[in-house]
Amino acid sequence: MSTVLSLAGVRKTYGDLNALDGIDLSLPDDSYVSLLGPSGSGKTTLLRVIAGFETPEAGAVSFKGERIETVPPHQRDIGFVFQNFALFPHLSVEKNIAFGLENRVENPITDASVVKSKVRDIIGLVGLAGLEDRAVTQISGGQKQRVALARTLVTEPALVLLDEPLGALDANLRTRMLTELRRIRERCGVTFLHVTGSETEALAMGDTVLVLDQGRIAQAADAETIYNEPKSVAVARFLNCYNLFSGAPSEGRFAGPDGTFPLGGEKSFASSVPGYAVRYDRVDIRPLDAPVAADEVSLPATFVADEYSGPAVNSFFQLDNGRVVEVETHLSVAPAPECRPHARYALVWKQNDALVYA
Amino acid sequence: MSVSATTSETETMTEPVRKSSSKSVWLITPGVIWMLLFLVAPMLMMVYVSFWTQTTFAITPDLTTKSWVTFFTSETYLNSLWTTIRIWLIVLAATLVVGYPAALFVGLFVKNRTIQTALLVLCVIPFWTSFLIRVLAWRPMLGKEGAINLILMKLHIIQQPIEVLLFSELSVIIGMTQIYCVFMVGPIAFMMGRVDQSIIEAAQDLGAGFWRIFRTIILPLTMPGVVVGAIFVSVMVLGEFATAAALSGRKVNLLGNIIVTQVGSLKWAFAAVVGVVLTIVMGVVVAGLLRVVDLKKEL
Repeated sequence: MSTVLSLAGVRKTYGDLNALDGIDLSLPDDSYVSLLGPSGSGKTTLLRVIAGFETPEAGAVSFKGERIETVPPHQRDIGFVFQNFALFPHLSVEKNIAFGLENRVENPITDASVVKSKVRDIIGLVGLAGLEDRAVTQISGGQKQRVALARTLVTEPALVLLDEPLGALDANLRTRMLTELRRIRERCGVTFLHVTGSETEALAMGDTVLVLDQGRIAQAADAETIYNEPKSVAVARFLNCYNLFSGAPSEGRFAGPDGTFPLGGEKSFASSVPGYAVRYDRVDIRPLDAPVAADEVSLPATFVADEYSGPAVNSFFQLDNGRVVEVETHLSVAPAPECRPHARYALVWKQNDALVYA
Repeated sequence: MSVSATTSETETMTEPVRKSSSKSVWLITPGVIWMLLFLVAPMLMMVYVSFWTQTTFAITPDLTTKSWVTFFTSETYLNSLWTTIRIWLIVLAATLVVGYPAALFVGLFVKNRTIQTALLVLCVIPFWTSFLIRVLAWRPMLGKEGAINLILMKLHIIQQPIEVLLFSELSVIIGMTQIYCVFMVGPIAFMMGRVDQSIIEAAQDLGAGFWRIFRTIILPLTMPGVVVGAIFVSVMVLGEFATAAALSGRKVNLLGNIIVTQVGSLKWAFAAVVGVVLTIVMGVVVAGLLRVVDLKKEL
């Protein structure tokens, strides 16, 4: 697969803040890439640099094999779907979508019938038929999202940047738009770079998932690898499904303020920040006096509360030093744990389910 | 059962609505009374008085169209009507030419909110001095031996002082543009401030250059500001008399100046005629400007 966009050592600072601190990435042609990062990780800055609204202080941005750092945004052929949609409030749905075709500097379409047919096609693709003459102030959030997408797609950019495209939609609509976005992208055959702060969205959408941490790409891999084998403590933390313990490995055990865990069979990663991670759903809740196998790790804790979410129950336990540990029990594979408040239990996991960073 | 519960609920709902609407009448009452007493009544009175009979020293309520005929047959008065309209159009255009780019600059290119506010306050500073001082201050600027002529002569750009700068139509236009420009800048900058930066970026991203974006996005979105600004400027310029009196050396007679003169010589009926004409002109201008943009929709 060829590369449509690549960044090498891109830096951008705002005062003392390194918004982008040496970004290296490359996006393959015709694929869905999601970029996961917490707020303040430089997601939006990265998109704005790619789109051309910001100029990087150092590094190279290459698009379709050409350096574009100094090319103004309107000559880049990169589509940007704004978080707040940024529709033109004085134009109808149809006019919004036709804007790029009619007004672009390079190769504008002057034949009204060509514009009309292109707009009609894209309206069909995103599912807005019947709303052509509506004012964009009179349509729902999901419809606005579609207009914003159609407006960008109709100009046939080689790369579409989506800045938290589902952030302004309610949860129900969000799930529907996820499948829609994938379908639309496959039909258009362009690369989507979907930026989000939601780990579930990033994992669900991306053929490739990029994780951004403090202005750097912390990991770039497919969703399954990211989920099962986060490369660093920071990535594991963003995924929001790992219990993380600080400390350091020494002499066959990982020792830290929360406890000492015997090592053996775990996956280890080289990392500047040491840590020990075990996924919420890999932890088993047992009575304190239940037997523990040789390849298992056991940690005593006090039950605090649980949360029922339908397919799973999340239980919260407190360690002796006050630290909270979360356990997720999938109801399809195990009955709901019935823990009594303030009672003590043993939290048990297999050594080879643990991830160790050192 | 649930249906009956709903109906009884709607019945109880209508009661408080009626009460609050009778309360809301009280909110508007002072305003309505004020407007009736001090706007509608005087206007009707003005129209009525314009048909009264005017003799040299007295005015009697015997209805006649004599004052109206005088106005529309006298070249002086028709000229003054034309001068008023001409000066209004020129000042309107001048405030737009000076004000729109300024407002655009403040709203579009000054990103810092504090600096934006500071720049808009700068526009208002001339209003901290009295109207009369502002007008009269132009005299030492524009006069034959005024600052502008002196500087131009010192720089050897001109040999003779430019006399047309003061006591001419030009000086009236310069003075009025300076005074009323801020009324144009304010509303446009306000509308500009409401234009989301990302809309302009979206247009850029779709491939449009600056002038295209200006014509297709910025101009239509700031049009309500232009219309509101134009209404402010128009109403004030059409009713102007002081700037013309102070800066034209009596060469420029606007309808406002005629009203002042006529009232000064106690020609109430005739002043009323000019007043009615002026009010009609303003009404037409405002109605015409409101046609340009549907303010109801925009604001």
